[in-house]
Amino acid sequence: MRFCRVRSVAEAVDELSRWGTEGRILAGGTDVMPQYLRGEQSPAVLIDISGIDGLGGISDVGGVTSIGALVTMRRLATASLIALRHPALSQAAAAVGAWQTQTVATLGGNICTAAATADTLPALLIADAQLTLVSKSGRRRIGLEDFLAGSGATALRPTELLRAVELEPLGERSSEGYLKVARRSAMDLAVVGLALRLDVAPSGVIDGVRIAMCGGDQSAHRVSAAESALLGTRLSDDPGAFGEVGAVLADAVGSAALPEAQYRRRVLPGLFDRLARRCAGEIAGAGA
Amino acid sequence: MSALGTSPERSDADAKLRGQAVYGADLSKTGMLWAALARSPVAAGHLRAIDPVPALRIDGVLEVVTAADVPDWRTGVIVSDTPMLAADYVAYEGEPVAIVVAESRAAAEAGARSVAVDIEPVEPVSTPEQALAPGARLVHPEWNRFAVAGGADIGRNGNVVAEVVHDPGDLDEAFAAADFVVEGTYRTLRQYQAHLEPKMALATYESGRYTIEVSHQYPFRLRDRVAQILGVAPSAVRVVGHHIGGGFGAKLDVSLEAFAALLAQRYRRPVRMQHTALEERLAAPCRANAITAVRSAVRRDGTILATDVEIVSDSGAYANNGPALSSIPMFVFGSIYRVDTARIWTRNVYTNTAPTGAYRGVNGPWLVFANERHMDAIADALGRDRREFRLASLARDGDLMRNGQPLEQVSILREAFDRVDDLSGWQDAGAGELRGVGQAAAIWLTNPMPGHATVKLNEDGTATVITSATENGSGAVATGLRQIAAEALGLATDQVTVTMPDTDATGYDAGSQGSRTTHVVGRAIADASAEVRSQVLDQASQMLEAAAEDLVITDGVVSVAGVPTASVTLGQVAQSVTWTEGPIAAGASYVTPTPPHDPLCATGMLIKGWPTPTYHLHQAEVSVDAVTGHVTVDRYIVCQEVGRAIHPDAITGQIQGGVAQGLGFALSERVDLDHGRYVQRTFKQHGLPLAADVPRVEAIVMEHADPAGPFGAKGAAEPPVVPVAAAVANAVADAIGAPIDSLPIRPEDVLDALERTQ
Repeated sequence: MRFCRVRSVAEAVDELSRWGTEGRILAGGTDVMPQYLRGEQSPAVLIDISGIDGLGGISDVGGVTSIGALVTMRRLATASLIALRHPALSQAAAAVGAWQTQTVATLGGNICTAAATADTLPALLIADAQLTLVSKSGRRRIGLEDFLAGSGATALRPTELLRAVELEPLGERSSEGYLKVARRSAMDLAVVGLALRLDVAPSGVIDGVRIAMCGGDQSAHRVSAAESALLGTRLSDDPGAFGEVGAVLADAVGSAALPEAQYRRRVLPGLFDRLARRCAGEIAGAGA
Repeated sequence: MSALGTSPERSDADAKLRGQAVYGADLSKTGMLWAALARSPVAAGHLRAIDPVPALRIDGVLEVVTAADVPDWRTGVIVSDTPMLAADYVAYEGEPVAIVVAESRAAAEAGARSVAVDIEPVEPVSTPEQALAPGARLVHPEWNRFAVAGGADIGRNGNVVAEVVHDPGDLDEAFAAADFVVEGTYRTLRQYQAHLEPKMALATYESGRYTIEVSHQYPFRLRDRVAQILGVAPSAVRVVGHHIGGGFGAKLDVSLEAFAALLAQRYRRPVRMQHTALEERLAAPCRANAITAVRSAVRRDGTILATDVEIVSDSGAYANNGPALSSIPMFVFGSIYRVDTARIWTRNVYTNTAPTGAYRGVNGPWLVFANERHMDAIADALGRDRREFRLASLARDGDLMRNGQPLEQVSILREAFDRVDDLSGWQDAGAGELRGVGQAAAIWLTNPMPGHATVKLNEDGTATVITSATENGSGAVATGLRQIAAEALGLATDQVTVTMPDTDATGYDAGSQGSRTTHVVGRAIADASAEVRSQVLDQASQMLEAAAEDLVITDGVVSVAGVPTASVTLGQVAQSVTWTEGPIAAGASYVTPTPPHDPLCATGMLIKGWPTPTYHLHQAEVSVDAVTGHVTVDRYIVCQEVGRAIHPDAITGQIQGGVAQGLGFALSERVDLDHGRYVQRTFKQHGLPLAADVPRVEAIVMEHADPAGPFGAKGAAEPPVVPVAAAVANAVADAIGAPIDSLPIRPEDVLDALERTQ
């Protein structure tokens, strides 16, 4: 196997176009290296992008949050801009692996590895994440929902590099959060991870709902049936509505053949209730 | 100044912290070959053929050795039931069927994967229940031809490897007189030792003798087992020990060493072997899975008239030490808490699964789990406070254990209940919604098996202890034995060195097991040191022209009491004596005598007494998440009696580690079997607790000096794992208001139990 370190996006896409399916991008290495050592991956060349300048930034571009593909989980978990605008992402990044993993694992890696249990994906989905992919022939933008194509599968072409992710920040009367259920308190995959963003009109009517989960199916995904069940209800008067949404979520859990499907179904209603109450409380607190 | 009761630095700390310590898995030799085992991919089947050709095609592979090329007899620690390589049939997934010899590790492992093993599978006997079912297939059709060490009658019969029966015959009467009966059946999974350094062996053969370099808990057992397997005299085998990267019982018996030795002789080259991570799991002597059914006849006033215990533990495909461990229920049920009479019936059975064996606190965690869950159940049935009921039922000094052994100091346990209550008052502990508290008590042994030490005074006045006691991580050798020698000789701890194990160079030692090193080897060192000291004083008395009884030794200086100017250093003494009388050295041995007991108390009992008992009370305080079913251990308290604390930091370290392992067994670790095969194949699936899952353990160390121990010390390292699962299960049951009768306690099980209470 060849190891090739690139210093710029231009160099990276050159190498990618040269090697095509024979190449594999290495960033933090927390997925690629174990796969390689287990013999599950044997690419002809590893293209190390960790030294590229300019992929490690978090910035505000005209009200949209732009996050470079090399931003680490630890950075996401601690950056104040993320905590303020994307608390669910901040919480999800802090739930990935252990501190050691978070220090090297990158957002781009979490997205492109596209594990069914990837913690950051639900948090990105509720912020309507748009990905910028670059290749020698140019660039294209694609929504994260369209990008994800099953466990470990994405719309990324072998010649493409994920450059940045753009997120829609939290609105003024909005709240969001991420909750993860795992068997251990760190270094464990999500049995299920749930992200919720709530927008509430001054009247108290919920006028925006985004719900996404990981662990429940082959890919992380939005759960529109649960979103519609909550949309238009009033925040204050019927906490019971949360229970109904929880039941819809439990039904949305994919194939029962996935490990732990039964446990996942069982915890989802309570988990949603906990998350929704937390978000509602934050909005009510902010409004008071 | 006395070094006892202080916590000096371990002799191995610096090298281990810097990564310079050489573990077994670091060893290599010039001209070394590698070998790897081809293992059965199925749990049970007839072995039809082994085709070596695909392996031999791999570059670097020299040979594929099969059963036809190795000794054809069966061996074992207690029952000689284990073939070196399976010949006609395989009895578990992972059983060795061939050895691949190669020029490199990669080639050996690739070869082992490529050997074509043709097995006609048969339906495995997967569980102990299946093994005992009428008409069950025999795991070993020729079981009756297997020899038993010493010809002991251990109650073997078909799939029953061993049976221990204690039955005074008065149970029916007691149950007839009972106001009510409380019963429960407690199920527990296996537990995998999960030590980090894999098992390995490096063997050489020269001038008719085998040398095995290894990281092993019990070099002399290894020597004897390799000799047994190869059919040579024990003296033809030398075992040299190196730093051990964790053992927890998994490195007490032979594993790869005999294969490596056989090949070293065959090739006249050093041969190295080492388990892969998957082999570690498949071949680990896990803590046995077991089913423990307990029934007690109880009177309304709280008297337990009788307890009837029926235990079935899974030996796996071979006996290993299961027959000996089957005695241990006798020291748990009806011994810690008073019962008028008890029947204890234990069977250890063959299944087509990996052989189980020793894991720290052998059998204890699941026996104490059953005993203490049962105590909670009786207290609940009586409407009594659980702590108050335990105190009322606790054995009293002079009471007999089920083997007839008097409990001389069991009142220490009563003191432990007070000490824990002082730290976290029972009335308030675990109060609140979905919070709970649980307690569990245990009386654990200090392994009595023999040890020997030679203490020599070096010519510079320092001392070396020559012993095959092994440092298995606890610090028993790296600090404890050195402190004992230093105290006895009048030296500082850092003036004492202890050798690494070498069966050619030292007296017999029964290895790192059952907390025995400090007590047994420490005693031998104290005795040998006393002899060395007396020779030193003789010499010094000539040099100082003073009577030996007027001399004192402090910090390496011998002086006349009251006349500090009249002194010589130990170095001067050593120099002088070496060239006049000859060098000073002395050896001593120790074996703990078997405590008084009734030899007729049970049939099939191989462990007859419970020597040098120590006393333990654990208290767990937990909270339960109603949504996820997740259990958080908020607070954990251990009160442990140790005789005398030689190195307090090492003891609290062992307590913290033991509790962490116990929490894994209680809550998160899984070793499931599916048709005889392990379900979890990686650490990722296994669920070891992490630092974030384990609270800081609060340890209360009680000292009640043992007259037989060195400066009063008993053993301390093994038992902290024993009561943990019981205390946690009692706390969880208290939190959710529903019984917990199986381990580990998965979040799903907690949610199930919660649902049933609603």
